[in-house]
Amino acid sequence: MIDIRAGKIGYKKVLLEIENLHLPSGSIHALIGANGAGKSTLLNTLTGKTKLFEGEISIAERNLNTVSERERSRLIAFVESSFSGVQYLRLEDYVLLGRSPYTDAFGRNTKEDKKIANDAISLFGLDSYCNTDTSELSDGERQLAAIARAITQDTPVILLDEPTAFLDYGNRKTLIAELNKIAIEKNKCILFSTHDIDLCIEEKIPVLLIEQATKQLIQKNELMTKAEILLKGFNLK
Amino acid sequence: MTSTKRHSILFIGLSISLLIFILLHLFSGQLKITLNDFWQSIFDFDKSNTSQLIAREFRLPRMFSALLAGAGLSLAGLLMQTLFNNPLAGPYVLGINTGSSLFVAASMMTGFSFFVTDAGLLLTAVTGATIFGFIILGFSLFVRSHVALLLIGLMLGSFTGAIITAIQATTSAQQLKAFTMWTMGSLQQTRFDQLPVFLFIFAAALMLTLFLIKPLNALVLGERSTEILGFNLKRLRILTILATAILTGVITAFCGPIAFVGLAVPNITKMLFKTTSHHILLFGTMLLGSLFLLFVDSIIQLCESHFLLPLNAFTSIIGAPIIIFIIFKRMA
Repeated sequence: MIDIRAGKIGYKKVLLEIENLHLPSGSIHALIGANGAGKSTLLNTLTGKTKLFEGEISIAERNLNTVSERERSRLIAFVESSFSGVQYLRLEDYVLLGRSPYTDAFGRNTKEDKKIANDAISLFGLDSYCNTDTSELSDGERQLAAIARAITQDTPVILLDEPTAFLDYGNRKTLIAELNKIAIEKNKCILFSTHDIDLCIEEKIPVLLIEQATKQLIQKNELMTKAEILLKGFNLK
Repeated sequence: MTSTKRHSILFIGLSISLLIFILLHLFSGQLKITLNDFWQSIFDFDKSNTSQLIAREFRLPRMFSALLAGAGLSLAGLLMQTLFNNPLAGPYVLGINTGSSLFVAASMMTGFSFFVTDAGLLLTAVTGATIFGFIILGFSLFVRSHVALLLIGLMLGSFTGAIITAIQATTSAQQLKAFTMWTMGSLQQTRFDQLPVFLFIFAAALMLTLFLIKPLNALVLGERSTEILGFNLKRLRILTILATAILTGVITAFCGPIAFVGLAVPNITKMLFKTTSHHILLFGTMLLGSLFLLFVDSIIQLCESHFLLPLNAFTSIIGAPIIIFIIFKRMA
């Protein structure tokens, strides 16, 4: 689903050299690496915000460089590390904004749009908060709402930038388990950056590890051990 | 109460209030004018009939000016507040009105007769508003702080104001008079035959705004999310500033610079409707804006026989405390 070929990735200077990367649909990967190793830059590149130095990225067999903004919004959804809520914006209306890539010129939602949004809301058990002001939700609820919006966007690829950064332990665990479930059940290709190494190991999430010294992205068929991640990603023995 | 029901009730309430205020505004004044006089003054005008003459030359243009200026300035304010993600933004505080004034002043003082015609005045006012719109847009790309952007807007206003004063000091008495009359801000300057042009430009800007509803709803979530949802941020910024500048420019040309309406009304609308959806806010803020200016102008009309209250002074007297209240509520 996500394909990178001979990609040189970075912002101002090259941080990552990816010879060949293929992430299929129905898979989830945790992007792990030290601060400044290029996690956010890789995600920004995949959303089209940062341009590649060299090489090519395709999403669902479409070259990212040549798709229009509107087409791209039907391929990639992105969840920022925190959504602080907006006063007077109800949760349901917030999630419905995920339908923007499909609505008419005036942004009117059809019954179908509303059903898709409400299904995503139900998926996270947020039904009773539909009319709640997003600025009044808890951090955990808001993060789930943001993911519900990404699912409502109905894209084959969902990227998340440190989705667990502002959550407590319980919420982190739930969120990672939920993401894992969605990738399989909804056949999505999910990639999220995180520092929660232990949780990823516990939940058996495959890891994409950035080795800063060699600018390589390490991907293995079997799950990596904690020692391996710490050694290659963080130079810790 | 569901939000849909709340919105319906508010829309019905505001529409009825607007109708009442339109009638109050039209029928108040020393001379009694009947509905029939108004009708005939538009469709079957008889110059020798005093009632019809007053209806056509004074009452109708003044009412329509209040209606359009109130709606347009509030709409411009709403657009700027969403664009800059700043509840304290508005065409007046960010120096768009003053930009219009500067261009009008500079062109009037050149002495070319074209610039004192309707077309010349409109052209210079809209050009000034557009240029200053893009200047403040440029600043907004680098200045992230809400208050800092506001201060820049206010400084831009003072700076421009100073240039206008300097221009005035070196000009002939006759040109000075024409310009000073214009800057007082008034709903009584528009003539009946100017109304179609006013209405047409207003409608054009409104049409453009209708197509901005969808991206503006996304922009509430921030710039990154707007891009992720498939919108071209650059195009959105340019079109929004353009719509704002046309609205502000045309209103400034016909009514002079009017303060605070564009800042206060959208904020009150958001508090009333409790939504961020521009499908609702767009029409809500226009209704409330018209209502606000008609109300203010009705009071001015009532006081007219005793003393003359400049429009700008009055909107500031009401608008400024509202702004302080909003700041207080947000910061506290």
